[in-house]
Amino acid sequence: MNRSVLYWRAASFAVAAGFVALWQLIADQRLVSPVFLPGPDRAWASLVRGFASGDLLDKLLGTLEHMAYGWFVASIAGIALGAMIGSSRTMRSYVAPSLEFLRPLPVSAVIPVAIAMFGLTQSMALFVIAFGAIWPMLLATIHGFAAVEPRLYEVARSLHMSRLAIIFKIALPSASPDILAGMRLSVTVALILSVVCEILAGLDGLGHWVLLSARSFRSADLFAGVILLGVIGYLTALAMSMVERRLLKWRSSGH
Amino acid sequence: MIPERIKALLLPITILAILEIWARAVHLQSDSLAPPSAIAAALVEAFQDGSMLTATRDTLISAFAGLSIGGAVGLAFGIALGIFHIFDRLMEVTIEAIRPIPSIALLPIALIALGFGYRMEIVIVAFACVWPILILTRAAVGGIEPRLMEVSRALRLSPTDRVRKIIIPAALPRIFLAFRLAAGIALIVAVTVEIAINPIGLGAAIMTAQQALRPDLMLAYLFWIGLIGYFLNTGLMVAQRHLFGRAALVGDSA
Amino acid sequence: MNRIAAVNQSANGPRPGRAQIAFSGVTLNLGGKAILENISLDVKPGEFLCIIGASGCGKTTALRLAAGLYQPTSGTVAFDGKPMLAPRRDIAIVFQDYGKALLPWRTASGNVSLALEASGMAASQRAARIDELLKKVGLPNHAGKYPAEMSGGMQQRLQIARCLAQEPKALLMDEPFGALDAMTRQGLQDEVLSLVRASDATVVFVTHDLEEAIYLGDRVIGLLPHPGRIGIELKIDLPRPRDQLTTRENPEFLRLRRELFDFIKASEA
Repeated sequence: MNRSVLYWRAASFAVAAGFVALWQLIADQRLVSPVFLPGPDRAWASLVRGFASGDLLDKLLGTLEHMAYGWFVASIAGIALGAMIGSSRTMRSYVAPSLEFLRPLPVSAVIPVAIAMFGLTQSMALFVIAFGAIWPMLLATIHGFAAVEPRLYEVARSLHMSRLAIIFKIALPSASPDILAGMRLSVTVALILSVVCEILAGLDGLGHWVLLSARSFRSADLFAGVILLGVIGYLTALAMSMVERRLLKWRSSGH
Repeated sequence: MIPERIKALLLPITILAILEIWARAVHLQSDSLAPPSAIAAALVEAFQDGSMLTATRDTLISAFAGLSIGGAVGLAFGIALGIFHIFDRLMEVTIEAIRPIPSIALLPIALIALGFGYRMEIVIVAFACVWPILILTRAAVGGIEPRLMEVSRALRLSPTDRVRKIIIPAALPRIFLAFRLAAGIALIVAVTVEIAINPIGLGAAIMTAQQALRPDLMLAYLFWIGLIGYFLNTGLMVAQRHLFGRAALVGDSA
Repeated sequence: MNRIAAVNQSANGPRPGRAQIAFSGVTLNLGGKAILENISLDVKPGEFLCIIGASGCGKTTALRLAAGLYQPTSGTVAFDGKPMLAPRRDIAIVFQDYGKALLPWRTASGNVSLALEASGMAASQRAARIDELLKKVGLPNHAGKYPAEMSGGMQQRLQIARCLAQEPKALLMDEPFGALDAMTRQGLQDEVLSLVRASDATVVFVTHDLEEAIYLGDRVIGLLPHPGRIGIELKIDLPRPRDQLTTRENPEFLRLRRELFDFIKASEA
């Protein structure tokens, strides 16, 4: 059983390697101009060179920093606001419809407003990333808090639990699957908005790096940046799903 | 008791009223804020001189073209991966390697390959739309009642008929859901590309308004973009409920 | 099989003196509809009272009033002579839907711990108490399991353990075995009898199973529906300890069952 999974995985890697080989072949045969499409060898060489000189590492850390700050601010604010709105029926009926109206708004549309307020600065990026990343968490937390099993509140009442204890022992853990799902979505949003802000404001990061590489037609550097962005996307999603699996162990067990 | 509908409107109306009164009281001179009345006036003006409609048309063309192309690719691969488990397992690593690339990272590549304009925007929107549709279609097709597949085999349907008469109708409700999500993504990505670099459509228009120090016009565009997002989402949700509300369980071809 | 050591079941029974739970002239309207009307009822300390009735007769509502989860529209509910204005920690409720009343993200011991935390017990003392309680309900080997990993019967035992952790003076049970299969149910009936007798608690037990009510109770109250009011009251003088075979074959048991059956039939007509 386990062994066959391993074989399939290996075969799947072989297929992926085949695609990389095909990419190399296309680049070598110059089927596509090397200005647009460097071979994987050149992209790899650029990655190695970039890391050796420290340039690429700086950009990578820059992007991670933008993402992390914005995501962190959004998490704290989203969960706190969501808990406040979600645990009160009155708040829900006054506030939730406005939030539902704002939900489908393409968040990048607030970028010009943020530029007008903060200029082309780090604060602008922080505001935009936090604003974009807060929605999935805010709405998920509201939903999670609103959907707590009423029976559990009765248990809490009969145990005379304090309001604080109810929030931390009943409502938050009960809403945690929703909150974590929201946080996972938010990471992706934060990455995309980091790249956009870097492109627009020329902030130090991979977004700026890929744009500059494109402008000066250094396609190998460009692909190296894009590959790194993919790696960030992959690793953050992986980390989130590991955290989720660990925290939600009680959910997968049984049934 | 206050009706729910009025409760819902109370918050936005209060905010608008406060903003209006405050802006008039302090004779607001700002690059980022404007009184709601000025925003409304700018909205009307942008509609009258046609710029709003042109920008809306450009954005929607790019978004829908990208959605159609990305959706078709995602649907085809999703069905293939859902039917053929071998194919699914072999492609797993490749898909997991490409999927996490943020769509916007392709912007510079599309820019040098295609230049400014519709084409580069459509390519990026299409890339972004492939994934939700591919993933959800694969799950929908993979989750089709096995009995239905046995029926199609017993009836000796041709592969084309199997897809057309069994698989697509049975998976349709979830595929439609995927398209609704992808439509939202298409609009977001289109506007984002325009804001970042591409000089067409609503995104470019809102950036221009910002650079021209016209906060009223900028906020009018923001409001309009929000409205489009809202109505796109609501419209598709109503359609989804209308189309699949009861029939979702029947799985019969329409 | 995790069987609880047979504690002497016949030790207690209702003690004379002031009522522990007292309903006087209780009426409850919800949404303009009368759910309960003019209920007066005394439950003595240590008594095992069963409430039966056709579905929709308000028996669960009566239990919730006793718990302090609802307040009567008129009349009073008193506990130890004082009016019940809110739930009390020394009154424990066993809900029928154990799946909803347990915290799915806490293990068995974590669920028992919740009640100890609420009572302010120091963390260092909890572990021993949790072990003791889980042993009492026959779950000593399942301390680290999540509710989702346990059978329905085990989950209900766990809920009972959490309630016992409150050291309740009164235990209110709302059709606790309604969702379990017949074998599990009979085993749990006997376990509840021994646990209750060992703890001295007063019990109000709501059920729709007539035999269960007679088998467990010192007294059975039958409610009439629309609105709920007391329609019959039977004293159960069957000898204790009770036994699944001999008690259920006792002619007095059969007579009582017949009487309750006729009552329910008439109330539904």
